[in-house]
Amino acid sequence: MNTTRRRRRWRRERLLPYLLLSPALVLLAGMLYPFGLGLYYSFTSYWLQYPNRFRFVWLDNYVSLLGEPLFVRALEFTLGFTLVAVVLQVGLGLAVALLLHGRIPGRSVIRALMLLPLMMPPVITALMWKIMMASTNAGILNYALSFLGVDPINWFGSTQGAIVSVLIIDTWGNLPFVALILLGALQALPTEPYEAARVDGAGPVAVLRYVTLPLLSPFIVLVVLFRTMDSLRIFDVIYATTLGGPNDATTNLQIMAYQYSFQWYQMGKGMAQVIVLLLLVVIVSYLLMRLWNRAAESTS
Amino acid sequence: MTSRAVLYRGTVAKVAIAVAAAVLLVWTVFPFVWILLTSLKSPGDIISVPPTFVFTPTIDNYAALVIGERGGQYSSTRPDFPRFFLNSMIISIGAVALSIAAGIPAAYALARYTFPLKNALGFVLMSFRFVPFIAFVIPLYLLYQQLGLYNTHAGLIFAYQLITLPFTIWMLRSFFMEVPLEVQEAAKIDGCSWLGVLTRVILPLSMPGISVTVILGFMFCWNAFNYPLMLAGRQTFPVTVGAIQFISYEQVLWGQMAAATMVAIVPQLLLSLMVQKYIVRGLTMGAVR
Amino acid sequence: MRLQRRTLTGLLLATPFSMGGVAGASAQDDAALAYYRQARINWRQAEGQSLTIGLNKHPFTESLLPLIPEFRRLTGINVEYLILPEAEYFTKLVADLSQQRGEFSVIMTGPMRNWQYVPPNWILPLDDFLNNPKLTDRDWYKLDDFYPALIAANRWNGKTGGGVGEGPLYSIPVLEESYILAYRKDIFDQHNIKVPTTLEEMAEAARLVKKNAAIPGIVARGTPSVATVATGFISGLKSYTDGQWSELDDKLNATFHDPRSVKFAETWVGMVRDSGPPNWANMQWYDAMEAFTAGQAGMIADADFFAANYEDPKKSKVAGKVGYALIPAGPGGKPYAGLWTWALGISKATRNKEAAWLFVQWATAQRTLLNATVGYRNYNPSRVSITNDPRVQEIMGSWGGGSYLKVVAKNLETARVAWIPQPERVRAGDIWARALHEIYFQRMSAADALKRASSEVDKVLKEAGIK
Repeated sequence: MNTTRRRRRWRRERLLPYLLLSPALVLLAGMLYPFGLGLYYSFTSYWLQYPNRFRFVWLDNYVSLLGEPLFVRALEFTLGFTLVAVVLQVGLGLAVALLLHGRIPGRSVIRALMLLPLMMPPVITALMWKIMMASTNAGILNYALSFLGVDPINWFGSTQGAIVSVLIIDTWGNLPFVALILLGALQALPTEPYEAARVDGAGPVAVLRYVTLPLLSPFIVLVVLFRTMDSLRIFDVIYATTLGGPNDATTNLQIMAYQYSFQWYQMGKGMAQVIVLLLLVVIVSYLLMRLWNRAAESTS
Repeated sequence: MTSRAVLYRGTVAKVAIAVAAAVLLVWTVFPFVWILLTSLKSPGDIISVPPTFVFTPTIDNYAALVIGERGGQYSSTRPDFPRFFLNSMIISIGAVALSIAAGIPAAYALARYTFPLKNALGFVLMSFRFVPFIAFVIPLYLLYQQLGLYNTHAGLIFAYQLITLPFTIWMLRSFFMEVPLEVQEAAKIDGCSWLGVLTRVILPLSMPGISVTVILGFMFCWNAFNYPLMLAGRQTFPVTVGAIQFISYEQVLWGQMAAATMVAIVPQLLLSLMVQKYIVRGLTMGAVR
Repeated sequence: MRLQRRTLTGLLLATPFSMGGVAGASAQDDAALAYYRQARINWRQAEGQSLTIGLNKHPFTESLLPLIPEFRRLTGINVEYLILPEAEYFTKLVADLSQQRGEFSVIMTGPMRNWQYVPPNWILPLDDFLNNPKLTDRDWYKLDDFYPALIAANRWNGKTGGGVGEGPLYSIPVLEESYILAYRKDIFDQHNIKVPTTLEEMAEAARLVKKNAAIPGIVARGTPSVATVATGFISGLKSYTDGQWSELDDKLNATFHDPRSVKFAETWVGMVRDSGPPNWANMQWYDAMEAFTAGQAGMIADADFFAANYEDPKKSKVAGKVGYALIPAGPGGKPYAGLWTWALGISKATRNKEAAWLFVQWATAQRTLLNATVGYRNYNPSRVSITNDPRVQEIMGSWGGGSYLKVVAKNLETARVAWIPQPERVRAGDIWARALHEIYFQRMSAADALKRASSEVDKVLKEAGIK
């Protein structure tokens, strides 16, 4: 009798985690069906206005991408932009976190204010900056720069300007995220290593290099992971400002997929492009997560 | 090194830091200031060259949001804006509530139990966050039309789970893992079942973390643009989609757009000011594990 | 008489389908609806039905909105509407039409857009409605009050490659849009710059304005989308070639690489690069229009009715300083500007077809359109009687010191729909505009860029089964 009850309880205990997970899994499984449908479409010639031309085309959509000059450019931009943006945002974020960690006046005010960009919908942020980035001195940004003796920058009308604008807007919106996470991490770091370093007479640079950074490494890898994932897929900002232009300079894979699906209604091709992006994201995230696991282990 | 050189170095460093702090402050805050000013300007002032800081303010833009204005200076009508605001509220609160309801048990399972497939399931849950939205939006749009979920709050709340659920589980799991094992063991010894441990020990102790998760989740929902762009109709547009409606055929209503922007961020502004200390802590906690 | 009408209205208002909770009929109400009640049809034959209308954000739609309760009182039909900026509007519209869900009953469309909707049978021809005496009082509605060219533009016989002006009428125009040149008369006079009559003169004039007045000599749309090529650009090209060039030949091969097209593109892009604004490549219609209105450009070759903005003393810095001219012509001396009308059409999937037609008829009736123009700046009117209305004449007649109306009338003599009918016109335009970007940023020569554009369009047409 005891064994039956115990066995029943043991079985219940084994099932319990799955039961607990089930509502969440059901919700997300509900999403798998549309995803599967989308995946299916990527193997077809689904084109909204031509329903009678719908056929299964196997990998045609994917293979044709290789011959599509826009695809290569979009891929280059996706990867290049991500690299620059992540390095910039994590580097600056670290600097800001270190700055706010120290004893500076108005520290808590600045910290509170830094939440503001995080709260803004990226689309609205982009619109805000678009107003400020008019190409002539009508834009407040160029006007301000003119006081520093800088010629008006052609923010959205030149290919380089457009890339820089998107970079600036994205950084403005996401720098606080990086800075606040790293700041929180800094504030939670153990003090013993710092005591030891002080005893050893290490200067601030050495402390940074040999104590702070290694201790922070799991968090740094974490923000790199998040920012990379987001930068690979950046959409709202580009949509609201340049929509991939000028001359396709700011077209990444998701913008390209949007154009194919919602401007030209070639759903099949659009889905194929998105799947390629997804594969890219999955591979990169897997690599970074392994890096994070290793970093987390080494510091514990 | 002479003491004067040391003092000089120290002062230079202090000044440099102060300048850096000032630059950071201006960089962060200026766009808001400018949008606030723009929202108070009349159309002539907005497009003036060079841009003006001194002007006669007007609340016409804000008034236009609520009552709408017909003919005359502005191409009319933003009586929809209060509805967009309400939609944002309903959808965000609904989505977060659903995520919390499903997320708490899920996070509990991931935090406190070991079982086969745990890492795999965990990774799958997280990976939803990484899927480009278009991969979902295209088929969701077509499906929702057939299921009648298009342009419904329920449909949007369900679609928003893609935004909030993985994040909620991730954050809650970290917070639950923070709760000291001894307290949980003590509760178990006292005869609590898993439910008891959850409700009597873990939830109360993780309240700050749960609040942070709720607030951040709310923010993510509030800021969503891509899903409602395609999955919502006029009755269910949130403020993010509503903001682009100021691009009219004959002019862009920058002033009203700026006013709408200011109004749209008010709820989050209030929320985050209330709990900003916790947010910072929460972001870190979530990051730790 | 009056007492009878009051009682009748009172009865109507007592029906469960009346909207608005009006306590009693007001004389205003009567006056507003009296015009429509002259039509010898039963406005209430679709009572109780519902309509959803898809509208692009536009002065015309702005004018309609306050009047919709009036429509409800007149017909008992419930109306819901969805308004979006143009790009989002078309995305949603095509998605809905393709699914044939009938989310939108009445839609805002136009000649070139119809080419996408007619082959897959997404919209209804309106002739049956017009010819049905139960639904339309033709004498009252006065279809011939519309400019014939505008009605013709909205007719299509469904054949790819031609047939505009023949066949069923798919939408009723609510405005006229063609393309003319607007220039800063004050600057031109001050520096003795000749008003251009050829493409080369236009480039020269732009250069001179920039040199002498320190502002961009010309401003134009420049985003890499069909909108950039569809207005001033294609009008200029058509005029340059005396209306002889078309983007597709009779075998439906793309002809962007035709030497005349290449020369035109080279000159035009060179002009905007040398004398145009720095952010040309990101300029939407409103950027270009606002720039000119703010006094930041010497010329603009775009929609004629933008003049309403240029001449608005409350907003414009150039009111009263603008001159109007035809788009520079080719050797033949006549311009061949393009033509566009926003128009109302009906989706095939709608369940309430009669209700939809009643709405279209009401919205395009003389009084409704007159109100749109006089009260809400819906220009240019699509009905002759509206243009001739003294109030409209007073406003429009003052633009450019009277030259505006003359130029518009002259332009309309030769203006026509500038594209070859085919469902992928938008795509072709997008590809063409992207080629212009390649030229502008000097990544490719005009000949190469346009050759590539032609082959891309050929590929698309083949993939879509059009060729």
